Amino acid sequence: MLAVINARLHPVSSSPGRGGLLIREGKILEAGDIRVPEDTPTIDARERIVTPGIIEAHCHAGLSEEGIGWEGNDGNERSDPITPHVRAIDGANPEDKAFRFFREAGITASQLTPGSANIIGGEQLVAKSRETVFIDEMIVLRPSGMKAALGENPKRVYGPKKSPATRMGNAAVMRKWLDRALAYADKKDAGDSPDFDMILESLIPVVRGDLPLRIHCHRADDISTALRLAEEFSLRFSLEHVTQGHLVADTLAERDVFCAVGPSMVHEAKVEMRGNGFENAAKMVRAGVRFCLTNDHPVVHGRNLPAAAGLLQAAGVPAAQALKSITLAAAEHIGLGDRMGSLDVGKDADVVIWSGDPLDARSFADVTIIDGEIAHCRGGDSGC
Amino acid sequence: MHAYIGAKIYPVDGPPIDDGVILVEDGKIAGIGGDLPIPDGVEVVDLSGKVIIPGLVDAHSHAGMWGDGEGEASQDGNERPGPITADVDAIDSVNPHHTSFASCREGGVTTVQIHPGSGNAIGGLCFAAKTAGEVVDDMVLKAPTGLKGALGENPKRGAGKDSPKTRMGTAALIRDYFARAREYGRKRDEGKSPDPDRGLENVLRVLEGEIPFRVHAHRSDDIVTAVRLCEELGIAYNIEHCTDGYLIAGFLGERGIAAHVGPGLSSRGKVETANRHEGNAAILAAAGVKVCLVTDHPFLDARYLMAYGGVAQKYGLSFEDTLRALTICPAESIGVDDRVGSLSQGKDADFLVLAGEPFSFKSPVLATFIEGVEVYTRPTL
Amino acid sequence: MLAITNARIHTGTGETIEEGTILLRNGKIEALGKDIDVPAGAEIFDAGGRPVTPGLVEAHGHVGLANEGVGWEGDDVNETIDPVTPHISALDGINARDRVFDDFLRGGITSVQIKPGSANILGGSAVAVKTGPNNAADDMIIKANTGMKAALGENPKRAHGADKDRAPYTRMGSAAIMRDWLFRAREYVEKRTASDSKTGYDAKLEALAPVIRGEIPLRIHCHRADDMLTAIRIAEEFDVPYTLEHATQGFKIPEYLAERRVSCAVGPSMSREAKVELEGVGFETAVAFQRAGVPFCLTTDHPVIRALYLHMIAGKASAAGIGPDAALAAVTASAAEHIGIADRVGSLETGKDADVVVWSDDPLDGRSHPVRVIIDGEIVYERE
Repeated sequence: MLAVINARLHPVSSSPGRGGLLIREGKILEAGDIRVPEDTPTIDARERIVTPGIIEAHCHAGLSEEGIGWEGNDGNERSDPITPHVRAIDGANPEDKAFRFFREAGITASQLTPGSANIIGGEQLVAKSRETVFIDEMIVLRPSGMKAALGENPKRVYGPKKSPATRMGNAAVMRKWLDRALAYADKKDAGDSPDFDMILESLIPVVRGDLPLRIHCHRADDISTALRLAEEFSLRFSLEHVTQGHLVADTLAERDVFCAVGPSMVHEAKVEMRGNGFENAAKMVRAGVRFCLTNDHPVVHGRNLPAAAGLLQAAGVPAAQALKSITLAAAEHIGLGDRMGSLDVGKDADVVIWSGDPLDARSFADVTIIDGEIAHCRGGDSGC
Repeated sequence: MHAYIGAKIYPVDGPPIDDGVILVEDGKIAGIGGDLPIPDGVEVVDLSGKVIIPGLVDAHSHAGMWGDGEGEASQDGNERPGPITADVDAIDSVNPHHTSFASCREGGVTTVQIHPGSGNAIGGLCFAAKTAGEVVDDMVLKAPTGLKGALGENPKRGAGKDSPKTRMGTAALIRDYFARAREYGRKRDEGKSPDPDRGLENVLRVLEGEIPFRVHAHRSDDIVTAVRLCEELGIAYNIEHCTDGYLIAGFLGERGIAAHVGPGLSSRGKVETANRHEGNAAILAAAGVKVCLVTDHPFLDARYLMAYGGVAQKYGLSFEDTLRALTICPAESIGVDDRVGSLSQGKDADFLVLAGEPFSFKSPVLATFIEGVEVYTRPTL
Repeated sequence: MLAITNARIHTGTGETIEEGTILLRNGKIEALGKDIDVPAGAEIFDAGGRPVTPGLVEAHGHVGLANEGVGWEGDDVNETIDPVTPHISALDGINARDRVFDDFLRGGITSVQIKPGSANILGGSAVAVKTGPNNAADDMIIKANTGMKAALGENPKRAHGADKDRAPYTRMGSAAIMRDWLFRAREYVEKRTASDSKTGYDAKLEALAPVIRGEIPLRIHCHRADDMLTAIRIAEEFDVPYTLEHATQGFKIPEYLAERRVSCAVGPSMSREAKVELEGVGFETAVAFQRAGVPFCLTTDHPVIRALYLHMIAGKASAAGIGPDAALAAVTASAAEHIGIADRVGSLETGKDADVVVWSDDPLDGRSHPVRVIIDGEIVYERE
């Protein structure tokens, strides 16, 4: 049991109010007006703001490690443009310092994803930022998606000596393998036993619509291509980055496409990122696009995600919606809206007590609680 | 509804109309003529002294596919290494936000057929699109409109380990691939479900007559090889570029072939274009070839398609044939003449307002309309 | 004449004037203070009580050398033909019309020192320019040769040793090359000044001569503490002026630096540990420097962190412990001192350039933005 009292609660799913949280067995038992049983360890929030843990929906922590160089870089299996059979769980290092920085900054969960060098890049997972040497102890959901990529990255890595070398090549390579996976799945369903093929096996949940294909795309036409492919194959899918999504915002809103937008803090690093900035994200929000914010850690460090939400607010998005874009909306994006992202009874007790306004870059996460346990305490008078 | 009155109209599928009227409703031409009653409540636009022609149709373009001024990151025209990339589709490489579409609108080009490049013996699917929009799928007029093929220098320059080294090698590759497609089709028809292969399926669409083979050929022997191959395979086809066509005009004319002649105003940049002759279009038209003037954008910037028409006239193409070579002929060749290429009731309201008679340097495009919407207005200088 | 009235003026030197007025004439600050009479006929901008600061100064960047949203064609940062290229000049690589300058104005940055990259041991001369109006680099110059870029640590040995299979392969090798060329330059200067000199012109040595003569500093890129000490060792051996750029692990040796009054451009502190030599990157260095009395300024190292966020970085440093006055100085007056252009910019004082920013709100809040940016008395950026 753990109690947080005297808090200015920002539950995200409902309006802010004063109150507390009672936590038992890693879950939120009571929220708001709570009764704290005797002898319950208690943190006095002293009127500080308390929010759900921040969620980084698109993240390469553990795969692209900090401060190491190529030895710690396990993000892209560049041997072939089609690698659905590689898995983030086999590459993610729980001892990457990024997870410590996450705890210190109130980032309690992240979706760990292979890179975007490949058309189909591999299986993703969602991890809590717990301190452990066992990745399994961090995992909340696996697989949480299948990484895919369009645009410049695959064609730069493989072209011009190998396919894909163009955008239409990107699409053709993806179609070819989805076609094959469908034929393979059909054969299996029909009772034939085709020769075992690990690549095609890994794609079955994708072509059957059970596992979302999470498609990296920046430029507006790449977004259109992603939608075209997803529709052709009736995929479950989400879009990742969506830098120029504002140019096709109405289409995205109309089709209710899940979009993880970012890293908006970064400069125009590539042609396909021209015009990058929070104004685009704000336009998408205004158009009603289903939306969460990502820093694409380590492109921009995940610990700066609250600051990014602050910049989204500065671009004209109401503070509550900006906070939602890094909590509940991110949880929904990664398929865990029922478990995380808000301070509701029954949800995981992932909680942050802030030194000030969480969207002010100068504020600190004073206390970070993950699954009901104190994962970070800033010390001093932070209250634990 | 809008009524555009007062202009001289060249409908292309009929005689010119002085002081004509075009009625536009819901993006379509609701009426056109010299003496047309204007219904009540219609917004009238007076274009006295101006000239109206149909929006131009460019049958060979790479708009949005080679991002001029954007470097490697936006080079999406040739899926290398080839030599056969029949499975790719041009629509997946086109960026509607690229400046090339603005060039099209400025130059009066309202419909384009966008091809994959000519680096590969079989390059992929072509499609036809309007030149204004945000999402390419919404701009599509017809897809696919053909399968791109290439003979001559480009495919044999390819970097792939299987790339052909000679012209005969290129022909052999195409023959072989079509034979494999036929075999694939036979298996499929027998219910044997072959492993899915989009490339072979796209070639089957050609073999089954759904779409034509659009073959890049400059030199006369390459053009003749294209004809030989396609007749042998029994497929519909046309010739792209057709640079040496005037040297074998009779051979082409008696077959009623469509030739997408261009890029205009160009140089003799390669050995296979050494015989380039500005009279090519006129000679081919006279011999009975269906001539379409094309930009091959970006090789001729789409802004200058009309100027290319002027030069073709200078070298003998009649005014009427030039106008047709920029509108209805390419529309027919692409297979979209039910919608565009001339101004008649029921067709798309794609038209240009010119300052004066077409093809003069003194007659700039003042406004470009696509489906009734003014998508380009000449800025005041 | 332009008069900014009703402003909360932060002068950049630690002073704050409430309800103050600034008069700008002929590109200079004519007067500022609480009770200033606005002459008749002056254009008046009522700041409405909002904060006004000096135009921010970015001490270290590759602006205009690394063009935004372009690939290879627009990358003119590192002349990697040779590890020693003192004869090249950043001025010759600046694309004054690059979109990046808009970013600087949006971030309230009016002056920037632009340097060649850090691939080379001696990389070429730096230049200080205004960030607008951006027509021709030459018209933007504040000071034409502000120092000689130099680099130690990982970058030169990666760019040449690892990538090109030639010296330097090691940190020792880098130091040896730097020494060798400083020796040669010293000898060259002596010989060329002798009346009977037969020494011929040498572009590289000529470019190093002002360093030897003490006219411009070496500006030495170094992250790790041992690289910083090597930089100091070599500079002291030759008795040449120098500054340290990045100084990431400065928190390990603040006293050593304070004793020598070494000026350091610290940053990009919001970044991640992208390389081994960045271990410990964060705001600890700024805090340690402030406590020990090391002269320092803060930098984004654009494009590593977007220059747009320089004021937010100052906010983070403030919260980390240096306080708001020092934080603002670190991106204004101290940065100007570091570059050697403090006689013209970096603070609001009579006679200095009329480079002024009016902010929507507290400039140290990441969510604030400039509403007016004025360079040389002209409004170059407006936003409401």
